[in-house]
Amino acid sequence: MLINRNKTIHRKKIVTLFLACACCFAILAGRLCYLMIVCSDYYTAKAEDLHERERDIKAARGKIVDCNNTVIATNKTVCTISVIHSQIEDSEKVIHMLVQELGLSEEKVRKRVEKVSAIERVKSNVDKQTGDRIRAYEYAGVKVDEDYKRYYPYESLASKVLGFTGSDNQGIVGLEVKYEEYLKGQNGTILTMTDAKGVEIPSAGEDRIEPISGKTLQISMDLNIQTYATQLAEQVMETKHADSVSILVMNPQNGEIYAMVNVPEFDLNNPYDLQTMDSVSANQLPDKEKQDALNQMWRNACICDTYEPGSAFKIITAAAGLEENVVSLEDTFSCPGFIVVEDRRIRCHKTTGHGSEDFLHATMNSCNPVFVTIGLRLGVDNFYKYFKQFGLLQKTNVDLPGEAATIMHNPKNMGLVELATVAFGQSFQITPIQMATTVSSIVNGGTRVTPHFGVRILGEGDKREKVFHYEEEKNIVSAETSETMRYILEQVVENGTGKNGYVEGQRVGGKTATSQTLPRGSGKYIASFVGFAPADNPSVLAIAIINNPSGVYYGGQIAAPVVRQLFENILPYMESRQDSPVTIQR
Amino acid sequence: MTRRRTRRKKPEYFFDFTLLFVVLFLLGFGLVMIYSTSSYEASLTYNDPAYYLKKQAFAAALGIVAMVVVSHIPYHIWERFAFLGYIVSGILIALVLTPLGRSSHGARRWLNLGLSVQPAEIAKLGMIIFLASLVCNVGKAIKSKKGFMIILGAPIPICAMVYLITDNLSSAIIIFGIAVLMLFVSSPEYKKFILIGLAGAAAVSGGIFLITKLAGSGKLGFRGERILAWLNPEAYASGKGFQTLQALYAIGSGGIFGKGLGQSMQKLGFLPEAQNDMIFSIICEELGLFGAIAIILLFMLLIWRFMIIANNAPDLFGALLVVGVLGHFAIQVILNIAVVTNTIPNTGISLPFISYGGSSVLFLMIEIGLVLSVARGIKFNEV
Repeated sequence: MLINRNKTIHRKKIVTLFLACACCFAILAGRLCYLMIVCSDYYTAKAEDLHERERDIKAARGKIVDCNNTVIATNKTVCTISVIHSQIEDSEKVIHMLVQELGLSEEKVRKRVEKVSAIERVKSNVDKQTGDRIRAYEYAGVKVDEDYKRYYPYESLASKVLGFTGSDNQGIVGLEVKYEEYLKGQNGTILTMTDAKGVEIPSAGEDRIEPISGKTLQISMDLNIQTYATQLAEQVMETKHADSVSILVMNPQNGEIYAMVNVPEFDLNNPYDLQTMDSVSANQLPDKEKQDALNQMWRNACICDTYEPGSAFKIITAAAGLEENVVSLEDTFSCPGFIVVEDRRIRCHKTTGHGSEDFLHATMNSCNPVFVTIGLRLGVDNFYKYFKQFGLLQKTNVDLPGEAATIMHNPKNMGLVELATVAFGQSFQITPIQMATTVSSIVNGGTRVTPHFGVRILGEGDKREKVFHYEEEKNIVSAETSETMRYILEQVVENGTGKNGYVEGQRVGGKTATSQTLPRGSGKYIASFVGFAPADNPSVLAIAIINNPSGVYYGGQIAAPVVRQLFENILPYMESRQDSPVTIQR
Repeated sequence: MTRRRTRRKKPEYFFDFTLLFVVLFLLGFGLVMIYSTSSYEASLTYNDPAYYLKKQAFAAALGIVAMVVVSHIPYHIWERFAFLGYIVSGILIALVLTPLGRSSHGARRWLNLGLSVQPAEIAKLGMIIFLASLVCNVGKAIKSKKGFMIILGAPIPICAMVYLITDNLSSAIIIFGIAVLMLFVSSPEYKKFILIGLAGAAAVSGGIFLITKLAGSGKLGFRGERILAWLNPEAYASGKGFQTLQALYAIGSGGIFGKGLGQSMQKLGFLPEAQNDMIFSIICEELGLFGAIAIILLFMLLIWRFMIIANNAPDLFGALLVVGVLGHFAIQVILNIAVVTNTIPNTGISLPFISYGGSSVLFLMIEIGLVLSVARGIKFNEV
């Protein structure tokens, strides 16, 4: 056995070794202090990022209310059913239950349930009762989340105006898209802690960021007027076997739209069901064809489609002529039943001719040769100037998406024949909203208004948060011209072609129109009437457009009575509305 | 004088209860932390939350028995087996290449001897005994250059085998580190060690400089990448820096007081195999800076007791045995915490008594038994 003495030198070295170790420990302790105090916030945030899973809570979309605060678009609670693969205990039971409750095929459910993923959505937009039933099973791994689905209590009413929302509650067409930023609100989130595989840890508390509900949009539409106008439109579409009927009612003084009807409307609560065919044959359509058919169904004809305005455009020609002093009320004309412009013979609708007539009567008779004469007196440049001045070359900027632009001749290519046809409303196309807006501007004293629905945004408790203002352009015609036009158009209704628009005890002004659609000779017509009341100071203007009626197709015969019936009902209603407190609030 | 005589008649031998208490506390604490870190994974993988706990508790119990047995064997007996131990260590390491060897985590480091054993653990113990014996045999010749070089050269074959055969750089470093520390204590020299230290530091910084220059060239092996990941773990978050970064998240999110025992988030699969080398980061996360410092202080206490025992050992052989054990513990604890806190590049070193690993605990307990045996040789009045 070796006995070597443990010498002092060794002891010293051992102490040195210990002190060196102590130094190392001190350094490490310092490093720990740095990591756990100075860097703590940084790493805690990073770690939480890693541990947290976010789930969105849908924000309730803002409501849309009419001018009387009647709710026309709101939300209803629906459920989203999802499965969490790692939490499912008995997948067969879960599959069986989901197949039974949701009415999906077993194959489809099985695929979802057996897919290895953090969370798998089985079906969304399940109604609340079904969701409650599924929740009552209390199967592990089945998750029922409630959220909101857009709901339209009046179903198809004003469908093409309101529009609808998609699967993420985003606006797709109509006002829903235009006012998306106010309506959509802000989604909230649920933060849950999960392990590395994404399994939620039940003991860890949830952090919620509450969603912010969307704001309420109040529009100028009056549900009563809209409903009545829809009934009239449906009635005339049925009796006249028309392809479609549009009715637009607005306030010519400020551009507020009270009603915009485009029948056939569609069901806003099932916007993907084609109205024209049953669901079986619709499902057989190729995707592209079905999408085209849907787009056609959702199209707002008042805004997206153009038409030849026909004789109603004589209002504009007359206003331009009066403004330019190329014609006055007393000017007399002679109508032989046609007029020759260059090499073309343009016929009057009364082939025998109106004979001698003054300008007032020429308008009352809707005499084509007279208006061709006025057009020629104005000349291409002047006519074009007024066309532009009245705002016909630009869009109306109505607060709905997809407004179509005016289709007009290039002034360089506009010969006298073109000028002559434009003068009585043919060979160019405008939208119905453009027509209504321009006539409004001519009869309201000369102010070009912006037609609109959006009035204001209401926050919580109907607190006003924003009032929309719209551009106006004054003096597009002089006040005198405007007054003269009101007088002429009242005469048209009282004694002229528009006499079917006459309402007992009311002063109504208006103009009829009958235009043949392109291609000419197809036998298809558009009958329309634009009317306003009271004639001396108009507060409401309506335009009715009947597309391809069968039988009698004259605007004065079929469109004017529609506006008459409308006015008969809404004029007394609007007077009473003016006295009600709701209107005072406006 | 009379008093002194009576004492000499009944010599009381020293038993280090402080050391025993610290060891048992660390062992118990280690089991608690292993259960805390592994129960979630174990219940998912083995459907038994106590899977790792049971295995470790068995190894710990075996270790306590081994410690008690070894502590009652006079330590000079081991002198006779010193050279044999050295040879057997080498043979066992070589046996890893035979069918007795077992692979895990892509490395062949284990021997299946009924119980799964890492020969590197045996080699550490063997090296401590062999070097202590060698130094005593060399005697005064240690002052000569030749004696110095003999002792420095002795561990190199074993280290080379550990590194080359089992591809275990960290164990090789630990074994060599133990040898250097034992040499440091036994040699009267200071200058040489300072020079060796400086040369080592220069080599390391030169190497790191070279590696950063080579970054992105694709010529670096996984060790080079580990060094790059060490310098900027977030840039290698999905690769070599992943484990380190997850450990840092755990440590940083613990804060001063921790999330509470059992409340770690990182152990839920984010930090892979949290019960192994990275267990200290979960201690930080659950028990906070206070818990972490308390554990460091306990290891300090342990090493302090080693120092006291070494300084009072009846002879140089006993003192060097304790120094070897001290070196082993100190190197592993320091390197482990340094790795976990990203103070040095990532390399697999377990935390004594706390990290999961049966053979590690068993051999550490045998080493404690050795130290207790040396402590028994101390006569009370010498303390």
